[in-house]
Amino acid sequence: MIELIPVWMFIALFIFVFAGIPVALSLIIVAAGFGLMVFGDSLFLQLYGSILHTASNFTLSAIPLFILMGALLEQTGLALRLFKALQLWMGRFPGGLAVSTITMCAIFAAASGVVGAVEIVVGMMALPAMAKYKYDQSLMAGTVCAGGSLGTIIPPSIVVVVYSSMAQLSIGQLFAASLLPGLIMVVLFILYILIACRINKKLGPASPEADMVPLKEKLQITLSAIIPPMLLITAVLGSLLLGIASPTEAAAVGAAGAALLSLVFRELTMSKFINALRTTIKITAMIMLIVMGGTMFTSIFAVAGGGWMITEWVDGLNMGSYGLIFLLMAVVFVAGFVLDWISVVLIFVPIFTPLVNAAGIDPIWFAVMFMVVIQTSYLTPPMAPSIFYLKSIAPKSMTYRHMYKGVMPFVIIQLLVLIIVVLLPSVATYLPGLITSR
Amino acid sequence: TEITWKIPSSVPEGSFFYNNFLKRFAGHVGDLTDNQIKIRPFGAGVVVPAFKVYESVQDGIVEAGHSTPSYLVNQDPTNAIFASFPGGMSPEATMAWLYEGGGLERMQAYRSEKMGLHSLIIGVGTSEILAHANKPINKIEDFANLKYRTSGAWAGVLKDYLDGVPTVVPSGETYTLLQRKGVDVVEWATPGSNLSEGFHEVAPYIIVPGIHQPTFVWEIVLKTETWDKLSPELQTKVEAAARVTTMEAFLHFANADIKAMDTYRDFGNEIITLDKSVLSVIRGYGHQWMKARAKEQADKGNNSMNVILDEYLAYQEAWSRNSGVFVRDAE
Amino acid sequence: MLYEVAARYIFQAPTLWAFDLSYMLNGSLFLLGGAYSLNHEAHVRIDFLSSQLPVRFQQKLNAIVYAFLAGPAFAGFSWVATSKAYKAFLTGELESVSPWAPLVWPFYAALALGLIACTLQLYLEGIKFMLSTKIPGHTTESGVSLHD
Ligand code: NA
Ligand code: NA
Repeated sequence: MIELIPVWMFIALFIFVFAGIPVALSLIIVAAGFGLMVFGDSLFLQLYGSILHTASNFTLSAIPLFILMGALLEQTGLALRLFKALQLWMGRFPGGLAVSTITMCAIFAAASGVVGAVEIVVGMMALPAMAKYKYDQSLMAGTVCAGGSLGTIIPPSIVVVVYSSMAQLSIGQLFAASLLPGLIMVVLFILYILIACRINKKLGPASPEADMVPLKEKLQITLSAIIPPMLLITAVLGSLLLGIASPTEAAAVGAAGAALLSLVFRELTMSKFINALRTTIKITAMIMLIVMGGTMFTSIFAVAGGGWMITEWVDGLNMGSYGLIFLLMAVVFVAGFVLDWISVVLIFVPIFTPLVNAAGIDPIWFAVMFMVVIQTSYLTPPMAPSIFYLKSIAPKSMTYRHMYKGVMPFVIIQLLVLIIVVLLPSVATYLPGLITSR
Repeated sequence: TEITWKIPSSVPEGSFFYNNFLKRFAGHVGDLTDNQIKIRPFGAGVVVPAFKVYESVQDGIVEAGHSTPSYLVNQDPTNAIFASFPGGMSPEATMAWLYEGGGLERMQAYRSEKMGLHSLIIGVGTSEILAHANKPINKIEDFANLKYRTSGAWAGVLKDYLDGVPTVVPSGETYTLLQRKGVDVVEWATPGSNLSEGFHEVAPYIIVPGIHQPTFVWEIVLKTETWDKLSPELQTKVEAAARVTTMEAFLHFANADIKAMDTYRDFGNEIITLDKSVLSVIRGYGHQWMKARAKEQADKGNNSMNVILDEYLAYQEAWSRNSGVFVRDAE
Repeated sequence: MLYEVAARYIFQAPTLWAFDLSYMLNGSLFLLGGAYSLNHEAHVRIDFLSSQLPVRFQQKLNAIVYAFLAGPAFAGFSWVATSKAYKAFLTGELESVSPWAPLVWPFYAALALGLIACTLQLYLEGIKFMLSTKIPGHTTESGVSLHD
């Protein structure tokens, strides 16, 4: 029984979560319960460490700022104007807004590595717009979740940075390695949306009436609607890409810029501002509490011997390279259902690295597969951080059914990318091979 | 009877420092004590926060901890003497001071008196790289206005004496910020362990030697009660394991550094070795900075930093007076 | 942080305190926000299975979990957090790695306050579930508003 604590922890967690207890509380309760067995009375001191660890994480402090930026743009209607203008131009293409959403997510992902924040910022802007043009709820959900997951694989990604320091790999090489798979994924996402919307016209209806608007008026609307948010996004991205601000600091630029824009456009009333703050507080607390619960769960799992258990188990199976890869990927996939990526990386990279090296598997290739799988499990129902986050910003009419149905095609595309990387390792290893001299 | 120690580290599992210090030590303790003492090492942030390792040992959450006195410097700058500081002793001199010159006894007495902990040194590092830089640095004036990612005493010396601009960068964002020229300079760790950080891929210049951090020290701490409960035989064996770890890790670091420097050179990095005159100015500033801290402590009624720093500087002086006797492999 | 960026570029002088201040603010506020979100049912539940159960059963289950499992855990955290904050205040503990080296007790005190607020809110929510004045997962408002 005691030796099996790591297994029981997952079972207990699934029971609490499916009993409808808030995910964050489920993680905390399970960690505290099993922690009592491992640590006895110093349990609270120990878990307080997890609270402190989460509370003093600098990277996480970007989350409220990014959310505030999204909430301001959404509350003041600036985001909707942006998407309306986009629809003017892309209206004749079925699924045009969904493609814009994926593109915007990819651009955000290329600028920063804060995974959940991208989904929420772009989601808050894109969901009302897609809803207005009668997009299918599932497609909306899938697009936002899938787009939001891109931050993991598109460099620079903080997931990659943490991974490389633990596996003793070059950060630059891993960034280069994940670039092609990331691009392939974006292209496949967009292709899927275009094809699916062409086949089923109800998914992302075209609005040909947009073509009736005279060009002059179109340009006018576009200038007034696209320019301001574009300025803001350029400011955020520009400050990132030019190295003026660190990814976290850019979030502050974004939030302040959004407030400034709303003021300039006289859209910012006190009540809208307070609403934006309320949304920010609720969503931030929701995300942070899940991360805190995940950190607690991870620490008890590790101390209870979860790591050794997996090592022994895998060693005992004695399988070939591909079998080993499959097994390790399956483990990451299951763990990623509930745990945030940082916990998954902290637990599994140190366990896997020696196994991978012993089997003679190219560590860079393996790392890329690991990233794709983390990203996929972030997206895969029933338990998926991407869906937890979407739920916090989704309109009431969007149900879990919509969400689950919506993400499935994107999960399949990600698995397809995984298969491509498995069968064609050079997709991952070609670019890093180029960084051998300047 | 079998004893198990959970030992969390301040560095991530699998990292260069973790493998060479904590993992090595865990292996040696197991071997030398015939597994009477088993060590279960944990990477940073898994069991306790990286910067709370000392406190978690004091709180009794874990039996022992693996960390560096650098993380205690804000609390008590005396620790900068044990951790090494800008202009401090070379790695060899530090090792001699610690193991033969009374430094380790000083450090153990200090830990036990101030924190109730017993200290075992298991890592004395080679010199760090002074800078992975987007701009060349050749003379003292070149440090002025440099946006420099660093921390600790070097941040203080840089700001107070060299007109540099020390900058705090979250560790996950360091590479990207250097690449995008958001900082001019990054100092991180030793040549061998910096290799996987990839800073050389994005910044053309490498400035040596690491006068800002000539060496560094990592320790294992346990509550004094935990240590005192061990039989004298076990204590001797654990101490032997610690010494072997220090020596092996140092040689491993040095060997990796030499290879890494060749890798950097082959990659096309320009390696700038600072002139002796420049180093001597920086060393002077480092000493001034430390003396100012010691005076602050003394004014607060804690004279021990003054005493230990005087001993340390006297040892450094003796070493520098006589180090001409050692053959150097310089060209 | 905006100030930090401006300071770094315009005045060539990054402020050392912005880094610590930003994480400390976020860290201090998220637990207070956690209590607020409990009140607004903003913590995500996977309730597609449990919502099939009788409402009364859901309420009792949540009341029990809040009052007897989550409540005591948060009470324990609050106790530790309070004593850590008090100790940091007495010893004048400083931040360990930052060159700015601020006192940590205000940050620790905010954490303690947030945890205490969460504890009280958990019991309050438990009572609401028990008295059937609230249904798990039912929010008054949800998500982004849909304009026109
Ligand atoms: Na990214
Ligand atoms: Na360093």
